[in-house]
Amino acid sequence: MRLVLLTSRNLKRRPLRTLLTVLGVASAMLLFVLVESLSAGLDAALSGSAAARTLIVYRQNRYCPQTSFLPERYQRLIADVPGVLSVLPVKVFLSNCRASLDIVVFQGAPPAELLKTRELELVSGDLARFEDQSDGALVGREFATRRRLAPGDRFRFGGIDVNVAGVFRSSEPVEEGMVLTHLEYLQRVGPVDRLGTVTQFEVKIDDPAHGQDIAREIDARLRTAEEPTDTRPKLAFLETATRDLREILRFGRWLALACVAVVLALVANTVLMSVQERVKEFGVFRTLGYRPSRVVALVLGEALLLGASGATLGLAAALVIIRTQHLSIGSEGVPVSFLLCGAVVARGALAALGAALLAAALPAWNAGRREIVASLRSA
Amino acid sequence: MAFIELAGVTKTYTKGEVEVVPLRDVTLAIEAHEFFVLLGPSGSGKTTLLNLIAGIDRPQQGTLRVGGVELGKLSSGRLSDWRAENLGYVFQSANLVPVLTAYENVELPLGLFPLSRAERHRRVLLALEAVGLSDRAAHLPRQLSGGQEQRVAIARAIVADPPLLVCDEPTGNLDHESAEVVLALLDRLNQERKKTIVMVTHDPRAAAHGTRRMVLDKGRFRPEEPTR
Ligand SMILES: Nc1ncnc2c1ncn2[C@@H]1O[C@H](COP(=O)(O)OP(=O)(O)OP(=O)(O)O)[C@@H](O)[C@H]1O
Ligand SMILES: [Mg+2]
Repeated sequence: MRLVLLTSRNLKRRPLRTLLTVLGVASAMLLFVLVESLSAGLDAALSGSAAARTLIVYRQNRYCPQTSFLPERYQRLIADVPGVLSVLPVKVFLSNCRASLDIVVFQGAPPAELLKTRELELVSGDLARFEDQSDGALVGREFATRRRLAPGDRFRFGGIDVNVAGVFRSSEPVEEGMVLTHLEYLQRVGPVDRLGTVTQFEVKIDDPAHGQDIAREIDARLRTAEEPTDTRPKLAFLETATRDLREILRFGRWLALACVAVVLALVANTVLMSVQERVKEFGVFRTLGYRPSRVVALVLGEALLLGASGATLGLAAALVIIRTQHLSIGSEGVPVSFLLCGAVVARGALAALGAALLAAALPAWNAGRREIVASLRSA
Repeated sequence: MAFIELAGVTKTYTKGEVEVVPLRDVTLAIEAHEFFVLLGPSGSGKTTLLNLIAGIDRPQQGTLRVGGVELGKLSSGRLSDWRAENLGYVFQSANLVPVLTAYENVELPLGLFPLSRAERHRRVLLALEAVGLSDRAAHLPRQLSGGQEQRVAIARAIVADPPLLVCDEPTGNLDHESAEVVLALLDRLNQERKKTIVMVTHDPRAAAHGTRRMVLDKGRFRPEEPTR
């Protein structure tokens, strides 16, 4: 009946205790949700639909885009390999090669080829303007939101100063965190002696099943060239680039688990105290005709309310932090953003409510089956 | 058949090695609409007897019938339902829920019945009116005097209109004036609403309100000694 009224009033009985518990649960859930969002962001980054049909040609034994220089003329050599549909030369420029927050990734490629190869869908702006202006740039939707960029804006970073011609959506989430420019523009920003070089080639192939063979053939043909190459399917490339992040996230899983344990301990402590204070009251309820199950429900309801309030607060805080702090962790040129998606919210809610229920299970059970007469006799 | 019938009821409490027998082979009959007063020295088993009649405790031996129902045969859940429908219990202290208003406290037992909101409202107002506290509905227990709290507790006991009221020293914590108000209220509930009342008291003046008095001593009954 008035279960909700009763439980919410009971939490007001000790407002400070309730507040502290809710704040504690909220902090734990904030951490939980941040870890889970980053993990979801990483999964999304690796989940591009085109990844299977794409190979990445990179300088052998180089990992940071800042150190991979391949002659632009490789483009034709690679295009000759059987099974290759197209080759896109890409120059990558980034703010920081190591894992860092708020990374900025530029990719420069010949505009016409870029638009043909990548599956981009313009959200706002003008493609023609991008092609016409040598300092034109297309900004990924996620990056645009994070940096509040719109067509017509200028975006400056380091020695780069580009003109935002449009904002795009992509079938590959990673790209939505990037800025795409003309190849020549990025080449001019780099060191003079590297003018004719690119960072990598993106190779579209006809059959994903032949990916390994084609990659081997490309590397074989360029083995004796001045810069030997290392060609891999894009997915494997992304996995290597983000391996540090995934290591950190494996540790993050333990953090998330610890967060759930914190929620459990906090709620258990509060519910235990609350039940102990109200032994006599539960005796009165039972005398009035409340069945043991109702008393159990009353205690569980209180725990759920604590868990739900804490989870809501924690989620809201996570949302605010992710939205306002421009968080994007980059690793070797792959930007990974915090993805607060439905699945993460659901997991957070489930973790908080599950921990709360578990925490209250024993005190609730004890409160329900305690003898009425003994309850009434207690102070 | 009497409304309340106890036959050969024995209640034992075991605490480790020590065994306490507050009630030994008690037999008692209370008619419907009686205002039965239970007297006796402290520790003589009065509360124990009241709890058995109220269906919140069970005897080890003997049978116990209230309103034709043998309480010992009911499961714990059914006994809960029985209490909701048949019993109003008034404790020595009001035992109100401190975070609920007088109105909400009185409404508590009604949550166990499938009643519309409007019907619940009507009954709560009637109960509060019966105890003369209609104007205190929105007050929290701590905003009420001890006597008023006890009257709210009585309203809570009668809101579901049970035939039986058990009261364990209902005036034990009250000053003389408040006690008289509560006792007059019980008189009215007995006479006008035909409630069967079983009341435990130490106060001879309170006992005088009863239609019958019995003294429990060392787990057995003896009639009241004539007062002079
Ligand atoms: N749960 C219990 N466990 C052990 N002993 C109990 C329990 N309840 C009551 N007793 C014992 O049973 C005896 C009768 O107790 P009861 O509360 O019925 O007395 P009472 O007549 O109501 O006394 P008072 O007038 O002081 O309220 C006492 O000796 C008491 O210690
Ligand atoms: Mg007593």
